[in-house]
Amino acid sequence: MRSPAVLIRDIRQKDNYTFTIEWSDGQVHDYRLSVLQKNCPCAKCNDEVTGKRRVDQEKLRDDVRALRVYSVGRYALRIEFTSGCSTGIYSYELLRELSNHSNK
Amino acid sequence: MALKMFEQVKAPFPLAKVKNVIAVAAGKGGVGKSTVAVNLALALKKAGYSVGVMDTDIYGPSIRKMLPEDEMPSQKGETLFPAICQGIRMISMAYFRKQGEAAAVRAPIANGLVIQFIKNVEWGELDYLFIDFPPGTGDIQLTLSQQANLSGAILVTTPQEVALMDVRKAAHLFHQVNVPIVGVVENMSYYQPEGCEKVFLFGKGGGGRLAMENGIPFLGEVPIDPEICHCGDVGRSLFADEKMETSGAKAFTEIAQAFVAHLGTMKRQSVEGFKAFELVWKEMMT
Repeated sequence: MRSPAVLIRDIRQKDNYTFTIEWSDGQVHDYRLSVLQKNCPCAKCNDEVTGKRRVDQEKLRDDVRALRVYSVGRYALRIEFTSGCSTGIYSYELLRELSNHSNK
Repeated sequence: MALKMFEQVKAPFPLAKVKNVIAVAAGKGGVGKSTVAVNLALALKKAGYSVGVMDTDIYGPSIRKMLPEDEMPSQKGETLFPAICQGIRMISMAYFRKQGEAAAVRAPIANGLVIQFIKNVEWGELDYLFIDFPPGTGDIQLTLSQQANLSGAILVTTPQEVALMDVRKAAHLFHQVNVPIVGVVENMSYYQPEGCEKVFLFGKGGGGRLAMENGIPFLGEVPIDPEICHCGDVGRSLFADEKMETSGAKAFTEIAQAFVAHLGTMKRQSVEGFKAFELVWKEMMT
């Protein structure tokens, strides 16, 4: 039997550059938008064949913001960044991996 | 008093008035997804539940034939009102094409039609909405998984290994998108002529094995019953004759009971989380 997947219990904006997720297993993590954009999984930012980043990481701004953050089914969310990137689907699995980076 | 500087919006998600949105899927064509969706819907309707069926097979919609309408669907502005078929609300591409006319459209158009079925149909309050998935694990299946607020999925298979190969892929898709699988229905399990032993034409126990592999409930077997085929062809309910319970009707009644029980257990045990949300970014004073 597969263990039940974690879901988002609460999500809110923390400041102009960060949002906070409370997960169904009780963990709470902050996500800085610039860190998320540097790890954007969309095909424009990320070469799906080679796995290499297509966007120069140095050019991504640290003060990038969001227009909105919204759910995709029961497994992911999408972010409309002010930089124009909006097609990446951030699975909950990826967000849990990235929580270590965002919280450093 | 602190000013509220940000806003969290729980999006008015589609199908909000439907208590349980259930995918009926297989990954494979020809295993009887539509047959299971229709007869499960009829069995639950008979048990007193309010039920709807969304036929998302744009290229080969077959449900209208099995469940002919008493009232055609209607439209007011952008809102579609489903057809009424023996008390079951139903929407299908079959209403928007002449019979025998192919829907020769590319994937983005087919996808757009399914999104309209999700967002523009006023289903009203329903206990169960069954979404009859098209075969495969592609664009439409992903759109449904992302946008239809699925509560769970039923996997339909036939017993043979060749069918199970594809159904396993459908199971994998649902695992990837965190849609819990309520259980497996095995269709065409056996044939039993009157007074004779069961004959397992396509092998034995494939559905049970699939359920065991995935740690999910096995909801039941549907025998090869000529009455299931005949009722589908003439558009009559398998449950119409209350005096005569065929082996097919008995199987679907039992599967419906198992489905309701397992879905209830699954929902009680599931973790709490947002179904759908939208966080609108606000300027915050630092």
